[in-house]
Amino acid sequence: MKEKTISILFVLLLFIFLIASLVVKDKEISYAERRNLTTIEDVFNSPLDNLEHYLSDQLPFRNILLNLYSWVDRIVLGNKENNNIYIKNDVLIEKNVPYNEKSVEEFSKKINYIVANHLKNNRVFYGIIPDKSYFLEEKGYQKINFSQLFSKIEKEITIPSINFLPLLNLEDYYKTDIHLKQNAYFKIMNELAKKYAFSLQEIEWKEQTYNPFYGATYAKGAFFSRPEELVYYKNEDTESSIAKHLEYGEKNVYDEEKLGSMDSYSVFLSGPSAWIELENQHTNIEKELILFRDSFGSSLAPLLLPYYKKITLIDLRYISLEKVEEYLSFETQDVLFLYSTLLINESNLLKVKMK
Amino acid sequence: MLFSSISFLFFFLPCLLLCYYLVPSKIKNYILLLFSLLFYFFGEKKYLLLLLAVCLTNYLFGRLLEKTNKKIVLILGLASNIGILFYYKYTNFFLETAFSLFNQKAPFLNIVLPLGISFFTFQNISYLCDVYKKEVPSQKNFLTYCMYITLFPQLVAGPIVRYKDIEKELKQRKENYTLFSEGVTRLIIGLAKKVILADGMYTFSINLLASQNSFLTSWLIAIGFMLQIYYDFSGYSDMAIGLGKMFGFHFKENFDYPFTATSITDFWRKWHISLSSFFKDYVYIPLGGNRTTKWKNIRNIFIVWFLTGFWHGASWNFILWGIYFFILLIIEKFFLKKYVKQGFFSHLYTLFFVCISFVLFSFTDLFELGNFIKGMFTIKNGICNSDAIYYLKNNGILLLLAIIGCSPILKQTIKKIQKGKERKWFQGSSIFVLLTLFIISVAKIISSSFQPFIYFRF
Repeated sequence: MKEKTISILFVLLLFIFLIASLVVKDKEISYAERRNLTTIEDVFNSPLDNLEHYLSDQLPFRNILLNLYSWVDRIVLGNKENNNIYIKNDVLIEKNVPYNEKSVEEFSKKINYIVANHLKNNRVFYGIIPDKSYFLEEKGYQKINFSQLFSKIEKEITIPSINFLPLLNLEDYYKTDIHLKQNAYFKIMNELAKKYAFSLQEIEWKEQTYNPFYGATYAKGAFFSRPEELVYYKNEDTESSIAKHLEYGEKNVYDEEKLGSMDSYSVFLSGPSAWIELENQHTNIEKELILFRDSFGSSLAPLLLPYYKKITLIDLRYISLEKVEEYLSFETQDVLFLYSTLLINESNLLKVKMK
Repeated sequence: MLFSSISFLFFFLPCLLLCYYLVPSKIKNYILLLFSLLFYFFGEKKYLLLLLAVCLTNYLFGRLLEKTNKKIVLILGLASNIGILFYYKYTNFFLETAFSLFNQKAPFLNIVLPLGISFFTFQNISYLCDVYKKEVPSQKNFLTYCMYITLFPQLVAGPIVRYKDIEKELKQRKENYTLFSEGVTRLIIGLAKKVILADGMYTFSINLLASQNSFLTSWLIAIGFMLQIYYDFSGYSDMAIGLGKMFGFHFKENFDYPFTATSITDFWRKWHISLSSFFKDYVYIPLGGNRTTKWKNIRNIFIVWFLTGFWHGASWNFILWGIYFFILLIIEKFFLKKYVKQGFFSHLYTLFFVCISFVLFSFTDLFELGNFIKGMFTIKNGICNSDAIYYLKNNGILLLLAIIGCSPILKQTIKKIQKGKERKWFQGSSIFVLLTLFIISVAKIISSSFQPFIYFRF
């Protein structure tokens, strides 16, 4: 009896998957995994290379199976990480190890080089956003020595800093993404206002929400917690401003077409971009800001629009300093270097050739 | 095609089962042959014709051997098999070695190793030898011989199934629920061994290898490699045996809890049994075995272990691996025989040397290998560090499961329960556990880009 049951159930299981695979319609995109799935066209183009990917990508119950294994791995096998991602209280945290002291040194040198060569007449500060692993306790997790990193930077960089650390906590970040929620930047506006000498206004921000938001770490960790809500804030300044991209031309500050795409976070300034000029048509203020930044800067910049006529965002990962020198004349603009510890620990990405 | 792939589990296997069990007995062999060729085609379309040519050559040599029984026919047959294996597997290695003697860079010939060549070559050799020794009649039907060689469960990564062991089943075999369910059980256990334990141990070792070095780290990596290789290969063998049973075949066991061995000699009675018995029957005994002078016996043992190492790969570390076992076995045979019998220390001694052997097995770069072994015997980098503790804690349960799985504890416990009062309850729950294990293994396949089987390299 037992033999019969095992045999029948096993064969039944094989046929359920086989038939379901043949019957269920293929999907082109997995939003949960933020990637294009292999389709039957790919198989026709290169059958032996793509068949396995196709069958695996289009397997019915794929997301349930992914969820199941992440559960087994975490709960049954007690594995804290998956693909360099930790999960703690439903928050996915990217591992940022090992500590790369050379990279931190290089980062400081690059900032100092830009300041020394171009920013003699500017009000310049730098700010560091810690990645989420900063908030993990020391024991039981692998994390870089943050105090070493911060003290090294403080020692090496010649310009003053704006200390965001006491203002931030883990709840300020998206659970499934590496970035800060936009409302977390409201907490640091006070510091920015003090340093750049502008007075904070009573602004009526309209909260916009998008759900389901699958962040960058959602798929990478394969932990498959629940998707969350993405919130962004609009006002007259953000609505009347234009974002001029070097690559994509003119766009809205909030690129709402990106909501529901594979990377909904790109709603902030259309995602990764080498050079963006935000021009506020709504203000009489003449001040300008240059923001050297990584992706963390994208959601801060719209909130600064009420205080500047023009904000130039420069991402040195995608454009070299030599090109920046061609396009931009450094005069008396305010300048902020805003980088995350993820980039500082991998600063070779910054295209700054020091002569 | 891998057994631990979606294409195999949910497409190839159900289609084959459907066709196989729907057609009359006479046609079953042809169905198996057709699907076996398809299986090989999806893994190595380039060499399907080579595989068929090898089958044809050996079939003809087999027929000729039976008619003439001449040694020269056997020698020619063996030479054709060894020649093909040598060309595909060892040409670049020999060129590299020869040129390096003159400090020259060898030209690299783009020769891709045909999938499973080491296994099907040995099967053909065993067949020709057995026909020559009249232990088995030659196969008269070419397609049946083709099916024996290409039979998909054992085609690409063994075990080395001898013709004489399944000769009768090639003609006539009985499929039934008992055998089929045993097959399903072995297939699921093998799949779980491969995708959960072997791949888990691989990730554990690789993560540790990339972290800071210490005495403990080195030993954890070595243990991780040892467990990974065991579960990878024994998992594959389980799946092969299980799939064989599902189609009415009985393949011999290939592993018998090798880490419970109490000597190196004992270890090789329990590890990759089909390979060690092949070398014993077709190399060691024909050379005279131990019924000869002491020095000739040592020579014979050396030849066997040099070849065993070299069979695993065209690389110096595998030759070293073989010679390492030769030295250990000689020491055991002539000096330690009295001391290594039973008991904790014999067991510890065996595990210690076996663990080091898998380090030799895992590092193809001799410089890296040397550095790693140094790290295992020095505390220069510290006894332990936070990385070692972290990975040990993070993989503790998996490591524990892997260690328990190496011992017969689980098997013995199951046997006890089956004999006891809780038998009925156990039967029901074992079905549930087995199917859950299958689903979890599939989930693991989906959730990771799985590691190819180690033994496909050979």
